[in-house]
Amino acid sequence: MNLRVVGANLVVKLMSFYREKTAMFFTIAFPIILILVFGTIFMSQDNVSFHLFVQDLDQTNSSAQSIKTLELNGKFKITTVDPAINATQYVRDNKVNLVLVIPKGYERSLLQRAMLSDSNASVTITYIYDPSSSSVSMKMQILNSVLAEINQKMSGKHPFIRSAETSILTKKYRFIDFFIPGIIAMAVMTLSLFGTVNLNTELRQKGIIRKLSTTPITRTDWILSDILYQFILAIISTIAMLLVSYAVFNVSLHITVWILAFILLDVFAFVGIGMILTRFAKEAQSAAAAANVISFPMMFLSGSFFPIELMPGFLQTIAKILPLYYVNEGLRASMIFEDNIAALRNSAIIGVFAAIVFILGIVATKWEEDQ
Amino acid sequence: MTKETDCAIEVDKLTKRYVDLLAVDDISFSVIKGEVFALLGPNGAGKTTTVEIIDTIRTPTSGKVTLLGMDVTKKKHDVVRRIGVLPQGFSSFDRITVRETMQYFSRLFGCTSIDIDELIELVNLKDKAKEQYKNLSGGLRQRLGIAIALVNDPEVVFLDEPTTGLDPRARREVWEVLQGLKKKGKTVFLTTHYMDEAELLADTVTIISKGKIIAVGSPGELIENNANYLVLTLQSVDQKASEIVRKMGFEPVLNNHKDITVRVEQTKDVQIILNAIKDAGALYLGLDVRKPNLEEVFLKLTGEALRDGPGGGRGAE
Repeated sequence: MNLRVVGANLVVKLMSFYREKTAMFFTIAFPIILILVFGTIFMSQDNVSFHLFVQDLDQTNSSAQSIKTLELNGKFKITTVDPAINATQYVRDNKVNLVLVIPKGYERSLLQRAMLSDSNASVTITYIYDPSSSSVSMKMQILNSVLAEINQKMSGKHPFIRSAETSILTKKYRFIDFFIPGIIAMAVMTLSLFGTVNLNTELRQKGIIRKLSTTPITRTDWILSDILYQFILAIISTIAMLLVSYAVFNVSLHITVWILAFILLDVFAFVGIGMILTRFAKEAQSAAAAANVISFPMMFLSGSFFPIELMPGFLQTIAKILPLYYVNEGLRASMIFEDNIAALRNSAIIGVFAAIVFILGIVATKWEEDQ
Repeated sequence: MTKETDCAIEVDKLTKRYVDLLAVDDISFSVIKGEVFALLGPNGAGKTTTVEIIDTIRTPTSGKVTLLGMDVTKKKHDVVRRIGVLPQGFSSFDRITVRETMQYFSRLFGCTSIDIDELIELVNLKDKAKEQYKNLSGGLRQRLGIAIALVNDPEVVFLDEPTTGLDPRARREVWEVLQGLKKKGKTVFLTTHYMDEAELLADTVTIISKGKIIAVGSPGELIENNANYLVLTLQSVDQKASEIVRKMGFEPVLNNHKDITVRVEQTKDVQIILNAIKDAGALYLGLDVRKPNLEEVFLKLTGEALRDGPGGGRGAE
């Protein structure tokens, strides 16, 4: 390794980057856009409220009271449907996924149960729903639990089993807090992988690599300068992402030196993979396509966007062999849970992986032309 | 055979085989220190493959190349410090200026002593020192490439088709730079498919065709040994004149401008042809008699033209 050579390459790359304003803009803007878009989506999920359509065929004080109870629960924004129209047709025509129908005779049955203690008196509330809508089952589950609560209260007895919540975290975290570390890991991966592939295939196609092969620069110097360069870009975009996260979403994350460590390992791993791809893909386009093939599953399977617990068992197993999973886990361990042991364990795993691909990247990089 | 110490480069039984192509076929030659050596041949002849094996960009299939006493495949790291290379189709970092590019390459070689401004002046780029590479014209880019090739004060300079794709004026400017190198006593290894370039610059010309060397010598020797005839050109002839020359047993070649070119063995043949045309009352507007050039030597030796050689020579070149 020759520090003078690594430094010379780093300077040339940074100057090129600084003078290419559009590339600079997108390097910083791309992760920020991701944060803003997904952050907004997940923020609204935190205090989610569903639209609920209710058709009251009873039109009595009691039925109106029940609708009020549903509304007070806070989960629903209620729209009433004219009792004169056909609810099924209404669902079809208005692209509404669920209409709750309160039957005629609701008040009468209620009075029978409450005043006359007739334990056989009951009513059936009908859900008219569109099963092709993805959120409808969640809506029905919430409705069921609300109705169960009402039933329980009407029985007049205290419930036997109660639940209490104790968070393992000292502060209250929202989904956005879990999301930001994943986005940082993913953005650094994308920048490093595509940055390396694009830069190296371009230099090779322009013949600059051929010229460099007639200078004393070694493959190790070249890759190290690439890693340093991508590391600097990664730090810049991470700072941008964190600033936006704090300013727009008011996240509360722990900023520790672990972040730097995981970014560096992330860069090491994916610059190494980029070098290997550059070697085996002859054309710039096929190298970029190969980078897509690697980064896409990584993005969705390694828990950057959603917890891997949501995935079927075999996909969870796959997730655990993906390097990005350990960056995600490690960043969350340090930024949310302040769990240094877990951070250390994850950094060790990704560290071993990074070392292997780094060495493979050096071996794979070829200066000599071989047609 | 020259003494080993006088040789900058010795190539011995060099062969390069690609999957479906024998690009260089068992060639041997040597380059003497301080000379300008030109490897001349059409596209696809194996020029670039040969020069790229010598300057360590490619590895040979078999054979041995010794450069300044070192085996180029075994001592690549030592070899690159003592050579300067302008690869074919040279290109550099788009947004880096001329001066910054020179600084970059001098740092790669660890040459702190070299005077970058002097080199920039040598290739006449002083006015463009602060210009980014992407804004330079083809000729300026090539001159920058030559300056970069000199950044480590090399003993041997390799220039692979330094003027291909340049306009005539830019070519002449590159030639001036190359003549300056020769004056500085550098050994220059040049590949080209321009015979005028080889004729003007080279001390030794080696003609290569289809991976084999077919002639070696100074431009004068090559012409003397291989083209012992005169070229008579008659301008704007009529149909009759062409017929007369053919009937006399010569082989006139007619071009688009109605000029005919005839090879003649002796000076008196010129007189005989002119007399025959005059007697028949045929017309021509002008005439020119000259010695043949390397282009014609090449044509004679290979039966193919230098610039538009058949096959086009993709891949190996």
